[in-house]
Amino acid sequence: MNEMEYCNDLIVRLEELLFHELSGCAAWKVEMVGVDFIQSKEIKGKNPDEVIQNCIKEIKAAGLVKEMSYAISGLGVKLELKMKGCSHLPKEIRLRQDGVKPYICPITNMILDQLIEKLKFETTYVADLHIDENSGECRVWSAIYEDENKIGSVCNWHEE
Amino acid sequence: MVDIIDVITSRKSIRRYKPDPISDEMIDKILEAARWAPTGENYQPWRFIVIRDQETKDRIGRLAKLGSGSRMTAWYCLGEMQERFEKIKDPVKKAEVLRFMYSGEVSEFARYAPVVIAVIGTLMEGSVDVPYDLSAAIENMLLEAHSLGLGACWVHGPVASTRDAKKFKEILKIPTGMGEYKVIAYVAIGWPKEQRKHPRPKLPLEDLVYWEEFGRKERPKYE
Repeated sequence: MNEMEYCNDLIVRLEELLFHELSGCAAWKVEMVGVDFIQSKEIKGKNPDEVIQNCIKEIKAAGLVKEMSYAISGLGVKLELKMKGCSHLPKEIRLRQDGVKPYICPITNMILDQLIEKLKFETTYVADLHIDENSGECRVWSAIYEDENKIGSVCNWHEE
Repeated sequence: MVDIIDVITSRKSIRRYKPDPISDEMIDKILEAARWAPTGENYQPWRFIVIRDQETKDRIGRLAKLGSGSRMTAWYCLGEMQERFEKIKDPVKKAEVLRFMYSGEVSEFARYAPVVIAVIGTLMEGSVDVPYDLSAAIENMLLEAHSLGLGACWVHGPVASTRDAKKFKEILKIPTGMGEYKVIAYVAIGWPKEQRKHPRPKLPLEDLVYWEEFGRKERPKYE
């Protein structure tokens, strides 16, 4: 067992436990999981593109994810992250096998944290995790709110 | 002993309030009810912060609005909110209800409540039941407020996320360390402005109760 396997095993147990204790709102409480890594990297950027691109560079350089891309759409509120070869994928697979829908994405948390910390975004919310264990790809949709006026900016994300 | 089932079954969450103040005596009775809730090993980990200052209530209301709005905007964009309110057939009414939700206005009402009581629990005194004890205290508060003719609402969402809970603690100057105090909810209280309709439909007991073991629905004869 390597260190990442050991780490994923720990997260699985904690993620299951937290869901068992709190049900659905467990997902609202885990936004800080993963942020320590990215906070140690002194990410710079003047706008979301620069911040996100610099986060991705560090994430890939550390070998946490092999391939990663992003897109902002949905009136500037929808952030889509696509990842392949995430080191946490075995965690998601095992959670599903245990009957718990995965809700912690440390990689997404890193990027949302830096939008808040570096660009003073008002708030963010991880809205949907789509995990394809066959292809090894994850797609995460988050809502990012630059300021409070962005809250209530709605459209159909499925058509974006 | 009086059966309080009528108080329990006629209570509903009230989110719209008249501006009329609530007397200190009433606030004290609500807090007294909380104090007598069941608590594991009598630890009594609950602490209460009574808030009447308008600026503080405005800040709490704003935090609640942003928290709910941030989630519900996403749920709307995913199509989940529309499913939740599919029973509303009038498109104009439905659109207004949905806007009220995803704008976050649905959760802003703390700023209009004459009194808001934050319910927090100390994590530093050894209790192993903090969330459960606090929840029992809140239920007592709701029932006492209702029995006094007041309306109240248990509000958890705005303090549910880790960042929002920290912001809430900062507003009220609660120590923010994760090992110090847990903010579980606040209770907004006021004289009801909305008509107190019958409580929302509840599932029948037959759907909720098993006898002797999970899944067994028929009530056995017990001599």
